[in-house]
Amino acid sequence: MSASTESMTEEEILKENELVERSRNDSRAFGELYEKYFDRIYYFLLRQTDDEEIAGDLCSQTFVNALNSLSRYAFRGLPFSAWLYKIASNEVNKHYRKSKGKKIFSIEEIKVRELVDRSDEDWDEEIIQRLLTYLKDLPTDMLQVLELRFFEDKDFKEIAFILDMTESGAKMRTYRALDKLRKNFSIKMKYDE
Amino acid sequence: MSKHEIRLRRQKFGARGSDRFRNYSEVLQRHEREVRLRKIIRVFTFLFIIMIVVMLIVIVVRVEKRMDKKSSQIESINSSRS
Repeated sequence: MSASTESMTEEEILKENELVERSRNDSRAFGELYEKYFDRIYYFLLRQTDDEEIAGDLCSQTFVNALNSLSRYAFRGLPFSAWLYKIASNEVNKHYRKSKGKKIFSIEEIKVRELVDRSDEDWDEEIIQRLLTYLKDLPTDMLQVLELRFFEDKDFKEIAFILDMTESGAKMRTYRALDKLRKNFSIKMKYDE
Repeated sequence: MSKHEIRLRRQKFGARGSDRFRNYSEVLQRHEREVRLRKIIRVFTFLFIIMIVVMLIVIVVRVEKRMDKKSSQIESINSSRS
């Protein structure tokens, strides 16, 4: 299963929060949240590690950490997944600090194609390679925002929460990266509308 | 040199690749173990703090006693001289 996320309505978020409240005293209720979000968190971690074993370990650790600090969870009008993404993101950072390796972003070709709205005849291997080189040269924090926005379908409020920054900061970072992309490739982005 | 590496996946991630790692009972076990460990650490920290406080009290009482003894000795010397 791919990790695409559907945006939740306010009502769904509130309903989910009731489940979170129940989870504080009932591990079975947390089990429902685990089943709901396991895939998304796992694939999010897999995109940032490109290693199934490491992603599996970090995913388990993410949910253990979430359970450990569930009593401190405060509802901010965001889906519960935002909090899980934040924990997962911290786990990835911790992993790279320990391993001292380069941070990896594993991107599916289909997602790159989805990002750029381009007619098929114009789309070739060279553009993909140029796009990858461009992404490689972007600052890591900018790439993180782009990843959450376009590959995880997160809105700016959630991105700001996950990356511990302001909403306007997240927007600015995304638009700056997209502007560069538009200039370099003179192509229309899927999100231009 | 860039701080990250971009890898392109030609295929989508496997449909059920995550199932191998899905194990809620293990997550629960680890959580319970960590909660137990945290409780033990808290108890030991509490005992350690109590021990330190008791030791400080004992030291202060001893020092006070010693000072009292000294001052009484000085007093007795002074009184014998006079």
